[in-house]
Amino acid sequence: MRALIVAAAAGLALVAAAPATPAAKAACPAVWLAGWQALANKVQAPVYCPRWMPNPLDAKIGGQYIDINSVNKDRSYLISFLEHGDAGSGDVHVNFRGYPGRTTIPKCTTVIPNGKKTIRGVTPCFADPIGVRTAPGIRATAYRVNQDADQWHILLAWKHNGSLYTVSEHVIKPYDSATKVLGNLTRLLHGLVLVQPQG
Amino acid sequence: MRVDRRTFLGGAAAAALGGAGIYELVDRLTPAPRRRATAALPREQHVFDLSSVQSEGVEVLVPPLHSEIVTATVKTTDLRAAQHDLERVLVDLDAQYAPDPSGLGVTLGWGLPYFDERDERLAAAASTHLPVDTRAGKPVLLPSRRFPSDPHDTVLERNDVAVLLRSDAREHIDAARKAIFDGLDVFEVTSIRRGFAGGGFDGKASLPKRMAMAAGIPGADLIPDTSELFLGFTSTQKAGLGPRLIANHETLGFVDLRGGYFRGGTHMHLSHISEDLEAWYLNFDFDERVLTSFRTGLTNVKQGAQTVPQRPEDVSTRKQLQEGFAKTGRFGHSASIQQTSRLADDVTGPDGTVYAKGTAIPQRADFNTLDNPFAFSSQPERDKLSDEPQAGVHFVVFNPSGDDFERNRLAMDGVLPDGTKLDVGARSRAQGFNSVLTTTHRQNFLVPPRRHRSFPLAEL
Repeated sequence: MRALIVAAAAGLALVAAAPATPAAKAACPAVWLAGWQALANKVQAPVYCPRWMPNPLDAKIGGQYIDINSVNKDRSYLISFLEHGDAGSGDVHVNFRGYPGRTTIPKCTTVIPNGKKTIRGVTPCFADPIGVRTAPGIRATAYRVNQDADQWHILLAWKHNGSLYTVSEHVIKPYDSATKVLGNLTRLLHGLVLVQPQG
Repeated sequence: MRVDRRTFLGGAAAAALGGAGIYELVDRLTPAPRRRATAALPREQHVFDLSSVQSEGVEVLVPPLHSEIVTATVKTTDLRAAQHDLERVLVDLDAQYAPDPSGLGVTLGWGLPYFDERDERLAAAASTHLPVDTRAGKPVLLPSRRFPSDPHDTVLERNDVAVLLRSDAREHIDAARKAIFDGLDVFEVTSIRRGFAGGGFDGKASLPKRMAMAAGIPGADLIPDTSELFLGFTSTQKAGLGPRLIANHETLGFVDLRGGYFRGGTHMHLSHISEDLEAWYLNFDFDERVLTSFRTGLTNVKQGAQTVPQRPEDVSTRKQLQEGFAKTGRFGHSASIQQTSRLADDVTGPDGTVYAKGTAIPQRADFNTLDNPFAFSSQPERDKLSDEPQAGVHFVVFNPSGDDFERNRLAMDGVLPDGTKLDVGARSRAQGFNSVLTTTHRQNFLVPPRRHRSFPLAEL
């Protein structure tokens, strides 16, 4: 039943996926702000808080959809929200990353199992650019071949004030094409607001 | 052109035996290419002359827009009468249509069950006349087999006959199918397989891209707009396909034609392969798609290129293949196959034509499909027939012998004729093609010369 609700709601979200108009005084939604503020404080850098998420997700760090909340020693972070649908209804999976103080695309290790041998290598974490998406104050490059937690995702990456930020979403039903996912990400991009560190 | 999924599925179901369903879109999406008229019917059934264009500075052959394969078993026991009747129909088709893509190409291949099991006298004649591959020490026509990267449930088919129909005009193919299979009461149709190729050489969206989009195939929106085939690279460049007569049994000198009945004939392998486009485009970046499709170390390909030169001078040497594999643990599709699919030395054919070292031997006639796996099957459960469209390829290739095909297919899996094995897992990403391709069906056929295309050997 829940899967049906998710699928139906996702359908509605797709219909309504026109980019949101930035509000005059856009702010991180109050119910989500605490988590994003805590993140900004922890990494001592601005972070982007979304004001819209693909259905059924919310962006409450510590809420029911949080999947990964990880901050590395270099202050780079991964915040992941996941709804795992029942009975093959699909997943809705959105990742936010930030790399404070650096703008180069990071390198990821690749591991290809091959019988008794394992082939290890290094590759850009985001590759195969497929276009540009813009929102007020953001010019993001869309990438379609991504690694680690962003594998099978379409990803937007942009630079701000000497740091690199990304948001990505899994291409899987109910958002089962790169075009649908890019639509979601574009809408999401338009809703991003910066949360500055405090203290 | 956009077809909603409901419309498409309705069309596909209705198309099983009669109309062409989604494939009718081909004619609405792409005008027929300009073709140079072909005057005379070649002696060979498999020779189908194609015009060429330049693509990214490389000469490429323009494939027919439509292709269809009908497989069948023989239900008549009067083979001589059937031979006469079928030949009459084929002669009529020859008279009606030009022997090029603007008209119609008809190629009949006959499977082992036809030669071995239909008629005792025929089986005796086959034992005398079927060609033998002296290099391999095997008959030219081999039983179908699975290869290391094939799933365990790949269906090894046992059809008596396969008829390949090729044209830029859907209605020509429809007319030929009806004339052969509805007009004569000699065959029981076992499958119909349809598809398309090309478009895109004029810079507009190609057929595979537009057809996949129309059908809602996962990953369709990731296919490059002008790609000749679903996987994004041009596969019909002239230098990558065997020249006109090279796939004849007799051309390269390793087939004993015995009495000569099959001189001008060839071997045809037919398979269906499903393709995971999402995995290909979301998990392999452009450089890795190049590496996988061609060879390791090929780093000078412009991002987004679709036509990567495959001239004789671009052929990978064995040393390059093995050094690349030792260094990276991986190998490319072209690099491994070219060890067997390209001539190792100059060869002079029986007509005096010199085929230079590095020349391609196989003549491919593969085409993309949305069949899952076929448009029609007489054994839908065995074939796992589904109305849900799926990206795939009906792979058709002509080689001088079945063993010659097998050498190439084994090389694709890293198994070379001298016993060298590039040790990759059966479906490992180390040979990336194998991780996104799944072969569902296979069968080998003998394609007689045109004069013996109808129920070969039945007259003896």
